[in-house]
Amino acid sequence: MTSVPKTFLIGSSGEEHKEMIKMMVLSCPSCTSPAHPDDDSGGGGSDGEGGMGGGVGGGLGGMGGGAGGVEHRTVYLNEPQPHKYCSNAVCTAKYRFKLLFFLPMFLFEQFRRYANVFFLIIALLQQIPGVSPTGRYTTLVPLICILVVSAIKEIAEDIKRHRADDELNKREIEVLKDGQWQWIKWRHIQVGDIVKVRNNKFFPADLVILASSEPQALCYVETANLDGETNLKIRQGLPQTSNLLEARDLMNLSGKVECEAPNRFLYQFTGNLKQTSRPGVMEDTNGVLYQEEMFIWDEEEQEKATPLSPDHVLLRGAKLQNTNWVFGLVVYTGHETKLMKNSATSAPLKRSTVDKQTNNLIILLFFLLIVLCLIMAVCNSQWDAKLHWYLSIDDLSVFNFGINFITFIILFNNLIPISLQVSLEVVRFIQAGFINNDTNMVYEENDIWAMARTSNLNEELGMIKYVLSDKTGTLTCNIMEFKRCSIGGTVYSMDDGSCQDLVTLVESGGAGASVARQFLTMLGVCHTVIPDRDESRGDGSIIYHAASPDERALVEGARELGFVFETRTPECCIIDVLGSKEQYEVLNVLEFTSARKRMSVIVKTPDGQIKLYCKGADTVIYERLGDSQQFRDLTVRHLEEFAAEGLRTLCYAVADISPEFYEEWKNTYYKASTALQFRERKLEDAAQLIENNLTLLGATAIEDRLQDEVPETIAALLKAGIHVWVLTGDKQETAINIGHSCHLLNQGMPLIILNTESLDETRDAINRHVVEFGEQLKRENEAALIIDGKTLIYALTPDLRKDFLDLCISCKSVICCRVSPSQKAEVVELLTRETGSVTLAIGDGANDVAMIQKANVGVGIAGLEGLQAACASDYAIGQFRFLARLLFVHGAWNYSRLCKVILYSFYKNICLYVIELWWAAMSGWSGQVLFERWSIAMYNVLFTAAPPLVMGIFDRSCSAETRMKYPELYRESQSGSHFNWKVFVWWVWLALVHSVLVFVLPYLSMTQDVAWGHGRVGGYLMTGNMVYTYVVITVCLKAGLETDAWTWVTHLAIWGSIASWFIFLLVYSNFWPILPMAPDMCGIYLQVYSSPVFWFGVILIPLACLLPDIVVKTIRNSICKSLTEQVRESEISNKDVSKVLDTKHRLTETARLLKNVFRRTTTRVNLEVELAPTSTKVSWVSNLKTWYATSHEPPSRGHWFVMQVNDGHQPKYMGTHSLKRNMESWVNQK
Amino acid sequence: MEKGEPRACRDVIKDNISETCTCQKNFTVYESFEKNVYLYYGLDNFYQNHRRYVKSRDDKQLLGKDDTAVSNDCSPFGTDGEGMVYAPCGAIANSMFNDTLKLFEIKLGGQAEELNLIKTGIAWPSDRKIKFNNPPGSLNSTGAFKNNVKPPYWTKNVYELDKQDPSNNGYKNEDLIVWMRSAAFPTFRKLYRKIDHNMTGFKFSFPKGQYYLEVEYNYPVDSFGGKKRMILSTTSFLGGKNNFLGIAYITVGSVDQLNINQNTPYSD
Repeated sequence: MTSVPKTFLIGSSGEEHKEMIKMMVLSCPSCTSPAHPDDDSGGGGSDGEGGMGGGVGGGLGGMGGGAGGVEHRTVYLNEPQPHKYCSNAVCTAKYRFKLLFFLPMFLFEQFRRYANVFFLIIALLQQIPGVSPTGRYTTLVPLICILVVSAIKEIAEDIKRHRADDELNKREIEVLKDGQWQWIKWRHIQVGDIVKVRNNKFFPADLVILASSEPQALCYVETANLDGETNLKIRQGLPQTSNLLEARDLMNLSGKVECEAPNRFLYQFTGNLKQTSRPGVMEDTNGVLYQEEMFIWDEEEQEKATPLSPDHVLLRGAKLQNTNWVFGLVVYTGHETKLMKNSATSAPLKRSTVDKQTNNLIILLFFLLIVLCLIMAVCNSQWDAKLHWYLSIDDLSVFNFGINFITFIILFNNLIPISLQVSLEVVRFIQAGFINNDTNMVYEENDIWAMARTSNLNEELGMIKYVLSDKTGTLTCNIMEFKRCSIGGTVYSMDDGSCQDLVTLVESGGAGASVARQFLTMLGVCHTVIPDRDESRGDGSIIYHAASPDERALVEGARELGFVFETRTPECCIIDVLGSKEQYEVLNVLEFTSARKRMSVIVKTPDGQIKLYCKGADTVIYERLGDSQQFRDLTVRHLEEFAAEGLRTLCYAVADISPEFYEEWKNTYYKASTALQFRERKLEDAAQLIENNLTLLGATAIEDRLQDEVPETIAALLKAGIHVWVLTGDKQETAINIGHSCHLLNQGMPLIILNTESLDETRDAINRHVVEFGEQLKRENEAALIIDGKTLIYALTPDLRKDFLDLCISCKSVICCRVSPSQKAEVVELLTRETGSVTLAIGDGANDVAMIQKANVGVGIAGLEGLQAACASDYAIGQFRFLARLLFVHGAWNYSRLCKVILYSFYKNICLYVIELWWAAMSGWSGQVLFERWSIAMYNVLFTAAPPLVMGIFDRSCSAETRMKYPELYRESQSGSHFNWKVFVWWVWLALVHSVLVFVLPYLSMTQDVAWGHGRVGGYLMTGNMVYTYVVITVCLKAGLETDAWTWVTHLAIWGSIASWFIFLLVYSNFWPILPMAPDMCGIYLQVYSSPVFWFGVILIPLACLLPDIVVKTIRNSICKSLTEQVRESEISNKDVSKVLDTKHRLTETARLLKNVFRRTTTRVNLEVELAPTSTKVSWVSNLKTWYATSHEPPSRGHWFVMQVNDGHQPKYMGTHSLKRNMESWVNQK
Repeated sequence: MEKGEPRACRDVIKDNISETCTCQKNFTVYESFEKNVYLYYGLDNFYQNHRRYVKSRDDKQLLGKDDTAVSNDCSPFGTDGEGMVYAPCGAIANSMFNDTLKLFEIKLGGQAEELNLIKTGIAWPSDRKIKFNNPPGSLNSTGAFKNNVKPPYWTKNVYELDKQDPSNNGYKNEDLIVWMRSAAFPTFRKLYRKIDHNMTGFKFSFPKGQYYLEVEYNYPVDSFGGKKRMILSTTSFLGGKNNFLGIAYITVGSVDQLNINQNTPYSD
């Protein structure tokens, strides 16, 4: 792992894409490697989500290789290894060496928690003789209980893991030993072994493929365990070893495999196979030429080095499919396998706002505790015990002071509610369970349930202020459909039958037929899709396994147009062109990376020409076009049209390569591909050489439909006061269009577009807009900001980011286009850090991982692009629309529940323990406890444990339906109104009032000490237990008072808790002398229960305590009712909830209008005038489209505005560049 | 006893704690109390609820089980210099209230008649039954308490607390049991005796009239600014407070007269 930091050093050399890769390395250990050919700026549609993974995978390969050159391992074939490597036995158990070292390791783990340390310190202090007011074991016993419970849990889990490990380690596999296959256990596998894996079996270690049952050492693997992708992937061995089909052949193999040191990057593997002699395998007829040419003769070592890439490697955790068997050479074993290297990584620990606030409060309470104890100790030292002869106290006063201080610490330690942590954990665990089991958040199509991967952030879901969303796969389905293409300047659409014209054209061979044929051939050839003929279905239909949905859509599109991609062998592709098969020899595949934004294949056509097919983003393709391009401008126009419709676009170009040039280039490329250092960059440079002077063929447009209910969800989010930002790799037009179609942007909403080329320009633009906003800056305006990735680089520079952020938060929504994963993360980080608002990032792809991990809450959509995002997220859902329920229902509920639990936990402890303070004034500040020691020890464990739990689990202020229907209700939790200093102080105040009342009232009733008709007197414990009873009742009823929704569980918890105390008292008073404890409680139950005074108090005192609460609550509910309260009330009385909300809404609407009237006279007008031209022009195209699409709706003001403009000009399409020019010139005129 | 200049008992015992000092105080009951009427003693500014005091006892010892070793809690009243265990040990027992109160009714003729006071049934039955038991053996220095000595502040041994009634002697002595239940507040009262309503004239009430209280004054409270009180009280089912018709009287009366003898001249 030492190589990782080096990787970062290399990565930080300044180039943007490298940084991006660095981000991904940090954050996404298991990104995919889909060779996704289209890219971020792919002319409108292609978001590049799928492609990112590929970029990362490749990036890692290159850069890791750089580091790997320093440390690498050499595995000798059929020879003993000079080094001893790690055993293949794995142990995922936490406590590795069985249970030998369990205790110390376990204790170490446990006492890393502050709460336990605090507990322990208190327990130790209690052991000092004569110091503890609550006995020696009242802290130690609960602590040990907790530890024992966790220990049992840990042991149980660990045993399970040990068993699972054992099961794995004892699996058997065939290994080549002494010339024959022998079954041995997995754990005995060593580096350098040659193993035989059969169909449907898992690979026992990381293997380099030698040969397989299929031709050319092909095999299919399923990597669901590694990255969650269920599509089959193709892996292939080196041609040099591909026909070592017999054990004998394998035995003859000699040489070595050099590869990098073990690392955790799944899509990185750099190595070389060096054979010392040419084995007899080269007589292979198939592709001999290719193989031989690939060899280089190493003059010094007399060894042939053949590059090994991730494609040649089978990783532990993956499964062999559709292949009878495969021979593999073990290179990494046990904990050095990539799977195991990954399992050790953990996501960053996030803490919720409420959690942080709670922690601050606990720290505050800790200081209060110290102060309180100091005061008590001072009072104690002032109280002259020597006068009281009966006490016989004659200690040294200084010594005494310290001792007393400790006494008080022990006495008051529960002011810091240790139990809170436990309650919170339980409550959160169950809340998470609710999320996991919510049937309203099940994506039935794929049977994906919502999943809370952490429970620490449950309540944070109720406080979200910003939602930052990815687009593809998140807002859209990520189900691609080939919609249009532009070939040679003509648009063909799959919908309206014009594609038939295309087929006819190709068949007839009319004008433009050659371009069309070339284009369609390219669709069939230029990709990395694996065809899988599903024989079982009998119809011979082909299933395409593609790493990205775009690729599949394209190949399927080609199929519909009569160019069926049929077979892929390592060397060639066979396509069925309108009935006749054509074989294209694939010479090289220049893979997609997000830096390159394109992918190419170099093929030899059936007639022997060498061609380079290159597809990619319009920008990168246009850069590389040759001079005279026939359809250049026409295609641009088409691209823009496609983009405006929200389609993902790709450009297609071809180049003829002369054999001489190819030969020359091939060597360069080979050198690059075998480089152990900077392989990625060298490959890129090599590709650069050949991807030149292209001829444009056309473009494709793929539709990615919006997911269900996305516009509704976004509208609801906006209503709830949540700002929605979209961060996408898409083109600006596509992004704006999607913004419109998902109701993020309104018609007529001013759009601020930042689209600049340099730092100075960016600064000017930002400053200009900041000035335009004037007073409205940092307030929410009805405007949207659109910025592209390039400008974002400048905008995020330290001196601009502040202004940029101000500008962003002044807008209702923000759309960032063409952004890289690292930029997404940067935006999230900036927003989170600078505004202190709670942010939620939602995405589905590997490129969203960084952002998901940076945001306060990360939500992953378990989508088509694997599970990386979901795995890195805090909450995983199946569809974007479930976000609304996650926030409005679960978030808001969890928030209010958890706040109540926390406040209540503080309250109940303060209420009980402060009584000791009042009593201390009456007991000579001695620290005597008014209650019996075990009674108070059980306070948080038994008598008041259930109400907060029930409150945290079952309470709810409004029904889920109402919350979903009226997102406005979310604002209450969003503003954090349930838990802040004010609320906390209020609760503490209540606790103090209650503690005074609950102490003073019994005190007054017991001044005579006689509470019975028989004239006997009770002792302090009589009073103590009375008070304690009242505390328990008051505190439990207080929970009831705070509960909004009573269920039978609530009843059970509250009455049950009260009853538990009565029962406890009864039982506990009978312990002595049968059990050697609680002599002072002996017979107390008789005293307490026989006292009428006590029973009067049971009714009166809790009522008296809660009376102020009730009064305040009543006043508040009748005078200044919160929205939630109102809704709750009308819900209870079965009234129409909407009335409440509508009244409220009308009011606010009026208020807003009024406000606007006054505002408009100042800067607002200015702003609108400034922005008007921009908005009309930019939203023009989209307006037109939505205009047609939604013509049944009455035109809004925005429409009318647009229509005016349309009347003035012919509605013809205007490209962005011209738009921008217009805008700028307009601004300049001003 | 010395005659002449009357001295307050508190001064007398200040000089010599072991000197017997008796004093009396007249009081008038203006209205008769319904039965039952109880006699309490009260102490002011006495912190029976002090932490060091509350724990200074050994409940095992009081169970009568183990009389050779006592809990450290009793320290410094656990064992004497020779290792003999105090019976009972601890600060609570050591500081047991040891005044003797007697009530006299002043008849019309002026002669006084001592009221019968019942000294049993004043402690909680559960305490008597479960918590306090004498060690096996007869209640004397050679039997049950052969290894014990009397607490330092005591004038008599634990087995001499009630010589007349063996069931009320030793650890089972109800005065001891009542004392051993620490009071909740520094101003407290403890049940001392019950008025015997079998006496003539007391059948149904505590009749109004002239009475006097005679106190054998042993217990020093002066040093800590404490006060002693005698309280006569009847009870309702709710206990002691709202019960007295004569509440005003008793309160006033108590303050005057039950601040026992701060100023009462010593007389015989």
